[in-house]
Amino acid sequence: MSALAVQVRKYRGQFTGMTAHALQRATGLFLLVYLFLHVRTIHELSKGPAAFNAALATFHHPLFKLLEIALFGTVILHALNGVRITILDLGLGHDRQRRMFWAYAIGLGALLFLAGAIPLFLSAV
Amino acid sequence: MTATYRNVIGWYLQRITGALLVVLLAAHFWVEHFMSQELRRGDLSYEAILGRIANPVWQFIDIAFLLVALYHGLNGLRNIVLDYSRIGRRAAQAITLVIVSAGAVWAWWGIEAFKKL
Repeated sequence: MSALAVQVRKYRGQFTGMTAHALQRATGLFLLVYLFLHVRTIHELSKGPAAFNAALATFHHPLFKLLEIALFGTVILHALNGVRITILDLGLGHDRQRRMFWAYAIGLGALLFLAGAIPLFLSAV
Repeated sequence: MTATYRNVIGWYLQRITGALLVVLLAAHFWVEHFMSQELRRGDLSYEAILGRIANPVWQFIDIAFLLVALYHGLNGLRNIVLDYSRIGRRAAQAITLVIVSAGAVWAWWGIEAFKKL
């Protein structure tokens, strides 16, 4: 067996858990940065209609519709994997944690994402 | 209260706020992104938003949502920072203090948006 095959075999069982863990942190940080930008825009409400509408004008660019859809996907991934983590923390489903990640966080997540992303996209075109 | 006990509370609250956010965020996306005709058409305005958040019930929900999201997000950030840094107790307390202060300013920044409605 080659050295690479040994390494693959050694870490194969850890790959899913580590991927889920890294993904949860990366999406969490992304959402925190988004929350900062979101509050920054919403804060313009306190300066009256002209200032707030000027702040909103930035987001009329079509690029922001795609970013909105990306945000939607990030939220779904973080939320579904977060529910998976909570289920594992309750002591349930440890023997199925990998399947829960792929079938539930990724699989069901992709279905939910398409169900939401398609109408969001169609409303913009 | 020992540090270990505090950490358990932090871990527990992260799950509680996470569960709350699943519900609040689903409702937020539903109301703001899917049901808001103005946003879907791309002509969201001050007047359209005012129509919803002039209602004190929405103000309460939005502010509670902000506070829960800030706790969850900043506690998550603190977990990540402390996880990757090999530092002593005092340094960890300093990081916590910085993050809590940022959270207080951030919360005020968001709540202030409602002051002239």
